[in-house]
Amino acid sequence: MLRRHLAFATALLSASFFVAAPAHSAVAVGQKAPDFTLKDTSGKSVSLADFKGKTVVLEWVNPGCPYVRKHYSVGNMQSTQKDATDKGVVWLAINSTETSHSDYLAPAALQSWMGEQKAAATHTLMDESGKTGQAYAARTTPHMYIVSPQGNLVYAGGIDSIASARTEDIKLATNYVKQSLGETLAGKPISNAQTRPYGCSVKYKS
Amino acid sequence: MVKQLFRRHFRAIFFIAACAISPWANAQNLSLSGAKTVVTTPQVRAELLAFAPDGVEPGKQVMVGLQLTHQPEWHTYWKNSGDSGQPTDMQWTLPSGVTAGAVQWPTPKKIPIGTLANYGYEGAVLLPVPLEVSQLFQPGVLSSELEVKLKAVWLVCHKECIPEEGEFAIKIPVKGSTALSAPAFEAAKAASPRNVPNLEGLRSSAQIAGDALQFTVHNLPLSLRGKTLDLFPETPEVLHNAAISGKDWTQAWKGVVWTASMPLSAQRSASPRDMAIVLATADGAEAARVEAKVVGEWPKVAAAATVSPELEAALKANAASQQAPVNASGKPLNANDGMGLLPALLLALVGGLILNLMPCVFPVLAIKVMGFTQQAQLSSRSGGTSVGGKSTLATTGIAYTVGVVLSFIALGGLMLALRAGGEALGWGFQLQSPWVVAALAALFTLIGLNLMGVFEFANVLPSSLATLQAQNPQIDAFLSGVLAVAIASPCTAPFMGASLGFALGLPAWQALAVFAALGIGMALPYLAASLIPAVANWLPRPGAWMDVFKKVMAFPMFATVAWLVWVLGQQTGIDGAGALLLLLVGMSMLVWALSLRGRARTLVATLSVAVCAIFYWATGQYVTQTLPAGAATAQLASGWQAWEPGKVDQVLSKGQPVFVDFTAAWCVTCQLNKKTTLGQADVLADFAAKKVQLLRADWTRRDPAITAALAALGRQGVPVYVLYKPGSAPVVMSEILSVGEMRTAIAKL
Repeated sequence: MLRRHLAFATALLSASFFVAAPAHSAVAVGQKAPDFTLKDTSGKSVSLADFKGKTVVLEWVNPGCPYVRKHYSVGNMQSTQKDATDKGVVWLAINSTETSHSDYLAPAALQSWMGEQKAAATHTLMDESGKTGQAYAARTTPHMYIVSPQGNLVYAGGIDSIASARTEDIKLATNYVKQSLGETLAGKPISNAQTRPYGCSVKYKS
Repeated sequence: MVKQLFRRHFRAIFFIAACAISPWANAQNLSLSGAKTVVTTPQVRAELLAFAPDGVEPGKQVMVGLQLTHQPEWHTYWKNSGDSGQPTDMQWTLPSGVTAGAVQWPTPKKIPIGTLANYGYEGAVLLPVPLEVSQLFQPGVLSSELEVKLKAVWLVCHKECIPEEGEFAIKIPVKGSTALSAPAFEAAKAASPRNVPNLEGLRSSAQIAGDALQFTVHNLPLSLRGKTLDLFPETPEVLHNAAISGKDWTQAWKGVVWTASMPLSAQRSASPRDMAIVLATADGAEAARVEAKVVGEWPKVAAAATVSPELEAALKANAASQQAPVNASGKPLNANDGMGLLPALLLALVGGLILNLMPCVFPVLAIKVMGFTQQAQLSSRSGGTSVGGKSTLATTGIAYTVGVVLSFIALGGLMLALRAGGEALGWGFQLQSPWVVAALAALFTLIGLNLMGVFEFANVLPSSLATLQAQNPQIDAFLSGVLAVAIASPCTAPFMGASLGFALGLPAWQALAVFAALGIGMALPYLAASLIPAVANWLPRPGAWMDVFKKVMAFPMFATVAWLVWVLGQQTGIDGAGALLLLLVGMSMLVWALSLRGRARTLVATLSVAVCAIFYWATGQYVTQTLPAGAATAQLASGWQAWEPGKVDQVLSKGQPVFVDFTAAWCVTCQLNKKTTLGQADVLADFAAKKVQLLRADWTRRDPAITAALAALGRQGVPVYVLYKPGSAPVVMSEILSVGEMRTAIAKL
């Protein structure tokens, strides 16, 4: 009699597990940052896992987007990159623009653009398939993320607090990436861990 | 000639003079700073329009608006631009006494781009703004017009995006009618959503339910009722914009009340108290704007999962010292690295063994006892020969072991898979789900009723299934192993916490091996007992006592139900616990009815199905609703505060020591420690004497922040007790606390 009960029980239990397991696609702050392996602009494979133990910044970039140019034209993105890499932080700029889009730049062209801008990113990575962008739910350029040395996502959002295409707004805005890096490197909790990213949509492959 | 020249000049002079006196006499296309009413770019024609049918006077309707006419396929954005883009921004310069109201945004269009979605306008759109004219407004001495200047910034996108801007000016005659643009303003008004009032007692709401917001909307206009509606969130950064109706989100009409469950954005950056949404018919012709009050607590963002380098070093040192006694060779063990697979497996085996001694196993003790007595029965059936009894005992012992080990692997595998899918969860996650708790409560009720003799399974289950099981006691033993793991394994035991934490850093097959070792450890005592011949001889002879014993054993089952109902109450509140009890009553009635015979069976069974259905309909939703996080905090005992990410560092920075109790309602060991140690007056007095801040992290429900904090300590389950002292390594205490150990640790502060 007990045993029959148990059969029923197990059926019930497995049914409830089914209901209990929710479906999730995009990563949220506090969760493990999805790993990826992408080719950089010189064709070398780079994985997020290579930088375990280090703080990593991910920047979604597209030189064709006026919001990206806003931050590069006055050196704001570059100085944020330099500040970070000087402190031992790894900076990965990722371009998820699909190859057939008019904004698409081939690796060499992207590399020379980054060079002209005097960008201080550790690597510039090609994500033409958009898989890495989708895994992070990157939706705008720029869209910024910070991954902790333990491999967890600790920041997701905008580069700063004023959503506009005007360069004059940069000095009035709070640079969330600088702020969050400062806090997390000092062992403090990040005060704005999820903010609104703003800019052009990422030009994903459809 | 001269005359002609003069005439020509006169005309010019007159023109200049006219301009000087009344430079904007034909205002529409001239203004002070070169600003005009129309700005044209390759993508957009933007025009500033005005509508003042009764002139400019206090109390009279005066509207201005920016009309954007897009080239085909280009669009600009709504108030909430969605996943990217930017709302059109308008800055007005108005004379004193005139103020601009809010933009009356027409209902937008959803513009999906792959996995993203924006809200905006294509074709032509007018963004109207009402002007408020007060008594202070005085038109200029020479002019009798209201001068309106606008600086507008818009982002226009198709494949690429182009930020554009324009400066506009218009003069509206104070007297007389400006109504040329009346059709455009009327069309804009018709295209704007109607505001739905929130009446007393019929307040529209948005209930936070896990990863979704559940909308309940009252008072929608007749033109929308019964229709499938599009939802546009006016409050940005909360909902998953690209969610597709009918696939990712659902809606339903309950009479005149519209309900919907809309998924939250995974990277939600806003936690508003009110959620404004626009609901529109599929053609966009009819729309209503609703302000829904947000009910419940926004889930905390697990932001502070980082540990400072110093603290991390201290934690590593601490983890090493914690595990040092385990390793016979004296090598320090570290939860994160350095431990080989073999020591980890041994550690897991010992941890699983100790799990049998943990209070968490209480609820399944009765099942284990029942298992042994059934063996007694079986061995007597097999002719009383000790040989037959022994072999049955041995095979059931092995079956139980297989059940335990496979369940451990299944549970561990499921946890690894869900974590790989991005879920923040740890060991014991199954009891964090109200569904599982409710299912287990139902199960134990059934087992209890069965032991009581209220019903026989033969009457409820198909007979082939029943016979199969009667002939194979091993199936029973296997299933009791599954049940033991489901209900008794969520707590961690000494050594088990560390090996679990270690297992998660390993490749999947190695991690599964560690889970299997835990299972073998847990099953080992029972397996050993079933293999030792002497044990079979100790078992009492079956007899009349068996029936009494069976009924006595029903009570531990009901006690387990009481505990599970309490756990569910912690997760879903008093309504959830009450609803579960009602459903259990309905279910009990149903199984009893099925054990009846003849007409009574049909009648009572039908009735009880109806009762179950009514109970479920009336209360079912309470069983799985999640309680707002604040509710649990309110129940904290005095002296305790709710743990929050970053709080430990905060208190430590003030120079105060901190004690954190990582606990859960479903962890019986945690409850016992709370009663026997943490609740003791002398322990509390010691804490008070050293000014220790007591924090309680309640993991009863899923909480990614707590999961992350546990992971930072190298742990994956509860109980975990940690004592932090400013400037030194945190001390992780044993899973089974004692007053002595606790007081010694406090004395060292």
